Amino acid sequence: MELLESYLRAVKRYLPRAQSSDIIRELSDELRSQLEEKETVLGRPMTDEEVAAFLKQHGDPMTVARRYRQDSPSLTIGWELIGPELFPMYLIMLSVNLVITVASVAIVFLIMHAPIKLDVFVFPVLAQIVVLTLVFIGLNLVRRKYPQPWYYPPAEFTPMIPIPRGYSVAGLILWGPILLWWLALPHFSYLILGSDAAHLKLAPAWHNFYVPILLILLASISQRVISLFHPDWTWLVPFMRMVINVAGVLVLYFLVFKSHTLVVVADAFQGNAQYEKLADSVNGSLLWGVFGPWLWIWAGISAPIYAWYCRPHVRRLLRSKRGGAASPASRDAARQRKESP
Amino acid sequence: MSPGTDNHELFENLRLELRRGSLILAVLAMLRKEQYGYTLRKALADQGMAIDEGTLYPLLRRLESQGLLVSEWREEEKRNKRFYRLSAEGKAILKPLLAEWQSINSSLHGIL
Repeated sequence: MELLESYLRAVKRYLPRAQSSDIIRELSDELRSQLEEKETVLGRPMTDEEVAAFLKQHGDPMTVARRYRQDSPSLTIGWELIGPELFPMYLIMLSVNLVITVASVAIVFLIMHAPIKLDVFVFPVLAQIVVLTLVFIGLNLVRRKYPQPWYYPPAEFTPMIPIPRGYSVAGLILWGPILLWWLALPHFSYLILGSDAAHLKLAPAWHNFYVPILLILLASISQRVISLFHPDWTWLVPFMRMVINVAGVLVLYFLVFKSHTLVVVADAFQGNAQYEKLADSVNGSLLWGVFGPWLWIWAGISAPIYAWYCRPHVRRLLRSKRGGAASPASRDAARQRKESP
Repeated sequence: MSPGTDNHELFENLRLELRRGSLILAVLAMLRKEQYGYTLRKALADQGMAIDEGTLYPLLRRLESQGLLVSEWREEEKRNKRFYRLSAEGKAILKPLLAEWQSINSSLHGIL
């Protein structure tokens, strides 16, 4: 039941709200009837893998929903920038991002006791629109160039879809240099302070966070290395990422809100007002820039998303402990067949 | 892209265009007798007009919104199903549509 329900929920997300429940009821009946027919032919309940393969063949939820949309809005300027399959998700993501952006800017200004004017929102909002639009144009290009039946699988399906090796490699390419940068920082403070490294040094508080952040980076890299060699360990990604993001939230919370001094004036320049001011300015840049609230909010949003993606793995684990091999969908169908006269 | 692939794509597009009109006629004709989506699709497939559900259900909705079909939810085999049938307007339009199709068909036979 979970696989089918999850699939139907994913389709529903992209349907026009006024008709979505009605369409899903009908689609649900159609798919259940087909599953029952297949089980009758097989003479046994279908496994989760078979149900997932059947639904995969039925189509990507976005594409399925698009067939029901008569309006099919898209972003085009003579040629297609964001196609009708992606456009509803683009609007959802844009709305969410803009709300978070406006709220974050407002919170930052409130904390800083600075006056909130309309123009402070213009750049962040425009930046969000441009970046998100470019990301979706890129996704649209990939979808068109490399058509796949299953781009955005619902959470319940992820245990059955191996982690693509390219995904792990891309993660290593991104996080590898960041880890090296972090490892080099204590020895080469100019990597974060730039030319100011001559007059400033890392504060003792910095060392409290160095090891926790190093561990988070190492965990992130390890997960990608393991996924590269064991792409079928699908549970590893949501569990590790959930832990990493929760750790990130805690570390950043204490870094941003509990510690205000990451950089101090170097011993040779102690008492120099100019460098004291410089240290304040660099501390502000680090606390509101590199380690700023954006990173904290990002980790705070990612943690529950990965926790959500852990659910099907936990459920599968509990089911296997109970010794049930067949899918709940097929058991439900089998029960219904047994009950019917 | 090779000429063979181009030709295949072109043929597929023309085939789909050709089928589209016939499919509407087939669905309207089949719904002279009340059916729900799954059985309608099976019946169409049995008659050599296989149609995937991704095409059929949106088509049924469109025909219903045009007033050619009426539908109602009813329980059957312990499950709620949406039954479709031709509306009075659908019946009135199906007759001249079938006559038009017969006429096109015989013209095409003459041409071919």
